[in-house]
Amino acid sequence: MLWVGVDVGGTFTDGVLYDESAAAFRYAKAPSTPSDPVQGVLDVLFLLEVDLAAVERLVHGVTLGTNAILERKGAEVWMLTTQGFRDVLEIARTNRPVLYDIKSLKTPPLVPRTRTLEIEERMMFDGSVRVPMREAQLREALAAIPAGQPGALAVCFLHSYANPAHEQAAVRLAAETLPGWFVCASCEVLPQYREYERFNTTALNAYIGPLMDGYLGGLQARLAEGGYGGKIFIMTSNGGVSSAERARKLPVHTVLSGPAGGVAAALHLGALLDIENQITCDMGGTSTDVCLVEGLHAPVSNEQYIGEYANRTPQIEINTVGAGGGSIAWLDAGDILMVGPRSAGAQPGPACYGQGGTEPTVTDANLLLGRLRPGGRLGGALALDEALALKAIAKLGKRIPSLETEQLAEGIIRIAVARMVSAIKQISIGKGFDPRDFILNAYGGAGPMHAAWIAEELEMLRVLVPLAPGNFAAFGSLISDIRQDAVRTRAMQPRTVNFAEIENLFREMEDQGRARLREEGVPPRAIHTLRSLGMRYLGQSWELDVDLPASIQSVEALEAAFSEVHERRFGHRSAEATEIVSFKLASVGRVPKPARPPWPGKGKLDTARLTGKDGTRQVYFSGKFHSTAVYERELLPRGAGVTGPAIVEENGATTVVPPGWRAAVLEQGDLMLERAAP
Amino acid sequence: MSKDKSQPGGQAPPLDPITLEVVCEGLIAIVKEMRVTIIRASYSSVIYEYDDFSCALFDTEGQMVAQSWDHPGHVLPLPWGVRCAMDDFENDLHPGDVILLNDPYRGGTHLNDVTLLYPVFDEQEQPMIFPAVRAHWVDVGGMVPGSYSGMSTNIYQEGVRIPPIKIIERGRLNKAAMALLMHNMRVPQEREGDFYASLGACRVAENRIGKLYQKYGREQVHQAVALNLDRTERRLREQIAKLPDGEYCHEDYLEFYNDGRLDPVLMRLKLTVRGDSIIADFAGSNPQVPGVVNSSLAVAGAGVFVAVKSTLDPGGAVNHGAFRPIELHAPEASIVDVRGDAPAGAHGEVRKRAVSVTLGALAQIIPELVSGDLCGTSFPNSIGGYNKRRGRQYVYYEGPAGGNGGFLEADGPSAYVNVDFGNLKSIQSAESIENEMPLLVERSELRADSGGEGMRRGGLGMRREVRLLDEEGSYSVLSDRAVIPPYGILGASSAQPYVVTISREGRELEFATPGKVTGYPLRENDVVIMRSAGGGGYGDPLRREPELVRADVVGGYISLERAREGYGVVLRKDGGVDEEATSALRRKLEGERFRVPVRADDEHDPYTGAKGRRRMLELAPAQAERLDATEDSLLEILGAHPAPLRAWARINPAASGEAIRLDAFGRKVLGVNEGDMVILRRLSMPSIPGGMAR
Repeated sequence: MLWVGVDVGGTFTDGVLYDESAAAFRYAKAPSTPSDPVQGVLDVLFLLEVDLAAVERLVHGVTLGTNAILERKGAEVWMLTTQGFRDVLEIARTNRPVLYDIKSLKTPPLVPRTRTLEIEERMMFDGSVRVPMREAQLREALAAIPAGQPGALAVCFLHSYANPAHEQAAVRLAAETLPGWFVCASCEVLPQYREYERFNTTALNAYIGPLMDGYLGGLQARLAEGGYGGKIFIMTSNGGVSSAERARKLPVHTVLSGPAGGVAAALHLGALLDIENQITCDMGGTSTDVCLVEGLHAPVSNEQYIGEYANRTPQIEINTVGAGGGSIAWLDAGDILMVGPRSAGAQPGPACYGQGGTEPTVTDANLLLGRLRPGGRLGGALALDEALALKAIAKLGKRIPSLETEQLAEGIIRIAVARMVSAIKQISIGKGFDPRDFILNAYGGAGPMHAAWIAEELEMLRVLVPLAPGNFAAFGSLISDIRQDAVRTRAMQPRTVNFAEIENLFREMEDQGRARLREEGVPPRAIHTLRSLGMRYLGQSWELDVDLPASIQSVEALEAAFSEVHERRFGHRSAEATEIVSFKLASVGRVPKPARPPWPGKGKLDTARLTGKDGTRQVYFSGKFHSTAVYERELLPRGAGVTGPAIVEENGATTVVPPGWRAAVLEQGDLMLERAAP
Repeated sequence: MSKDKSQPGGQAPPLDPITLEVVCEGLIAIVKEMRVTIIRASYSSVIYEYDDFSCALFDTEGQMVAQSWDHPGHVLPLPWGVRCAMDDFENDLHPGDVILLNDPYRGGTHLNDVTLLYPVFDEQEQPMIFPAVRAHWVDVGGMVPGSYSGMSTNIYQEGVRIPPIKIIERGRLNKAAMALLMHNMRVPQEREGDFYASLGACRVAENRIGKLYQKYGREQVHQAVALNLDRTERRLREQIAKLPDGEYCHEDYLEFYNDGRLDPVLMRLKLTVRGDSIIADFAGSNPQVPGVVNSSLAVAGAGVFVAVKSTLDPGGAVNHGAFRPIELHAPEASIVDVRGDAPAGAHGEVRKRAVSVTLGALAQIIPELVSGDLCGTSFPNSIGGYNKRRGRQYVYYEGPAGGNGGFLEADGPSAYVNVDFGNLKSIQSAESIENEMPLLVERSELRADSGGEGMRRGGLGMRREVRLLDEEGSYSVLSDRAVIPPYGILGASSAQPYVVTISREGRELEFATPGKVTGYPLRENDVVIMRSAGGGGYGDPLRREPELVRADVVGGYISLERAREGYGVVLRKDGGVDEEATSALRRKLEGERFRVPVRADDEHDPYTGAKGRRRMLELAPAQAERLDATEDSLLEILGAHPAPLRAWARINPAASGEAIRLDAFGRKVLGVNEGDMVILRRLSMPSIPGGMAR
């Protein structure tokens, strides 16, 4: 049986194939194809030489939705809402996240007033109907939407988490009157109270809905044509995976699809290597994603933002900065050298790709300094043209005559590094963590090339470069469990109910969760569920999650467990009665984790050195060229140590070991870079 | 803090830049963690939904060394509270002591803001950096649910006053004090929860601070803090140094009712820029009044600081270093230096008016960096009663945000809290309110036409309607800018002021003292309609791009009528701009402006009032007719400086009718001299049955 993981990034599409019978991995990389993203996936599958009919699972990370939000290129969304509440998105919570700036502006709403239609209807908090909805009025409102071009509609009524009847009726009618439209309701996207947060998350879902639905539908169809009969799974922001069908309806749950795959892989590797604390740094062509992992635990929260928009779906806390290999260097007013956030992307790509790009990028700078191999191939077919890189950088250099071309190239890299350092500071220093207590896990096509400098800036001592770093996120999607989180908002005071009521509600949710996972092809043995309750003391407004293991079988035990969590978190407990606000169930379908084959240990270091003149090249470090040994990663023997300056090449990534650093080859082939003692 | 600590050398090893950042950011991270703890563990909706609280860390000398997304109105006056407590307990602070205070005369803001100071010591009992929390408790006793009422005449009506006391002494809770406090507050079990939420946050901080000292050592931590304060100070000084030296004046008002008559209270500011320092002097401001619009200089100073920092040096960290370049002065027992036993409920309004006068003064030197006036009140509406469904009392509290002033580059943001409010959320989730209280939120939308008209429009306020579903409740509000609206600058118009009415059985009831209502009895199905003010405009509305005016009409942000009358823009039947008619109308409106010359007169006292002081403008009957003004009409005078002067009409048949009389301060505010032309216009005022105080 074959498993395939594919990750579509802004510049490259990466693939991993695992052949279970041979216990072997294969990796491939192809340029992404933004005009038709499915093509890039097919290209990678072709390079992996996959027999689609023999594939059991295909797991996919995709950042199309994220990019659409960040670049504000989503659908034109219309909204139906409860009368009197058309400004919920524009008013938001009225808070001012930028302090001490009289000119700070509010984020423009995803759906403007002119596309928001009010419906006379009203649910109450307990699910009772105060104002019934009239179909005629609903039809009238829907008729006001220009149905010509298929668009997206978000249906957002008050208290729909308590009674979804009106939203569901509106969705049914909209499906009729707006054929081909992407229609979603807040009760499906996020059935939780607090209208602004729910409405905004629903609007985000609609904003990227048509794009993701079209993409995943096209992918399913074209893979089926190629003989694939299995299911497609999509990496979700919480670090799990879900079926493509579900992702097509609820794309907002996949906004961190790509980066989540990398973090999932980092957690897996951390457990294997016994590395508890790491900061991950996934540098691709367009952007870099960083995440702080403490105690083998990736922080997940549902209070994050994508761009400036509140997204209340659970997601791993990942910080993204628009700096990658393809980021363009340019001069700001006052001739200040800047790098990114604009990227040359996959088309035309950096100047050295020879596809028509003329602006200098980080990749061009690395090529010029010898850190990338001139004439080498990056991500398959592309041969890197040093002359084009030189031309692009020299053009920029004319405006900064005080710098030699190489100095300028090194400056470009230093600025890109500074931007990544700042992103890491936000998630470490900014949250009270000292980066010096962490290992930097560098992956993505460009991560291992810059990691040592990032570590130096942050005084981090060690850098881990995993095997096949350019395909690490795709590997992560392969080993991630299928996970569905269900939430029900149901207020209940434990002291006034029978404990069996709680048990019964969870049983019902579990039955549903199991059934859904079985539909996704998970064998019953592999399914397990995790119960938790959102609880608070009566009178509080924010709930705390309390795990509900089978050992808790009484109201007293439940309240005691809550008080313990409360005290641990907030430093005190109370004798006040508690209140349950929400029931949460995670249904997890475990997938087997492929073991990595042992790394060959025989042979001498020299056998890994490239032969002839390729074995040494001049690489520019700190203002001058150094004669530098070049190794082929696949041939580096286990236990070997490489002393910088050195370059380690492999398909899809280049690791740079600067002067003053050493790299050790670990048991399973991963590299550990350490700063040599001064 | 003495300068020598910031010098490298001495016993401590020199600080490397990473450690400097790790320590400084680490302290801010501690504050952030405190914030999360409080939000999650509090019982007052004001704290958990609204973020009406702040946390900060102080060094052993009482300097604020770290804060985060904390409410500037709270956190900026906090050092004064720390100083008062340190004075009271000098050499008498021990491990396990916790201090509580809310006294507006001694380190507090208003009584609802309850402050907890938590001294921290190391194993040698040496004091360390310590946390403080100031949180708005939804009720602290007093005459109405929610405690503060616009009609208080003394502080005893506003709740329980707590001077700095040790509520916990060497780890033991002072149960007697606690019981006394709790017996005098509504919904005491929730207040106790609020207390423990603040305490819990301080404990979290204590733990983290201990770890930070352990890891980096006392010397390095203190060295990092000192360097950080110095660099923050330097940053603001560099900006101030760029301003031309000189004196810049402005005046504005707070709304006070003296026995049912409006008796506006004067706030005057002289801002002196000298080198890299600013001196803010409130000389000439109103003596304190038996009404809520009094506060301390710490509070008024917070307003000055916010306005200076947010225009001159936006963004960046704020700590004690940033306060150093600004020196404050105030007359004793005035509205900006409150003494016993005057009420102090409207500290937010005093602070906000300090922002208004500072912006007005700064506009004279940096018009490109300021905005039109902000909506200007915190607008606390409260409804209290007994919730039958949940079997307990409740207090609803919301202050729907208004608009912000337009500025050079953009229209003012709508329904967005003012810059002195920080990240506070002024409204709760309607779904959350309805889950917890017998109320129904029926409408929550932007208020059309409320933004001040200008080349850049002021932001819009909100209209929020709340229906009472239970049998009875009691409504209070403490608002300002309900009569005297936020001003526009550079020729722009004022915004619409705050308005609250009650809709009862099809009728709309108005209050006799707009903005100040105490314990008004609500009946079942009454709807409280709250309308917040817009922000002031920026620049002449007749110069606003007609396309933007059209878009505002299409979006429903302004009415067709205001497009014509306010902006001089005529739309065709198809909705497009009628260019020709627009140019003609704009010329006509421009020509109709009432211009009069100024006569310098330093002999007369321009102010009148009972306990307040308001500026009078003497008009001849013909002038009054031209302005459609009667005795006591509210007028606006536009001069050479960006911000206008407000005054009330005093019609004098003996007046010359040629010019208007202006005193030296008035001329300084407007930037005009004898013979210069000014523009006069009338502003509408709500009806006040009691009239104006004499």
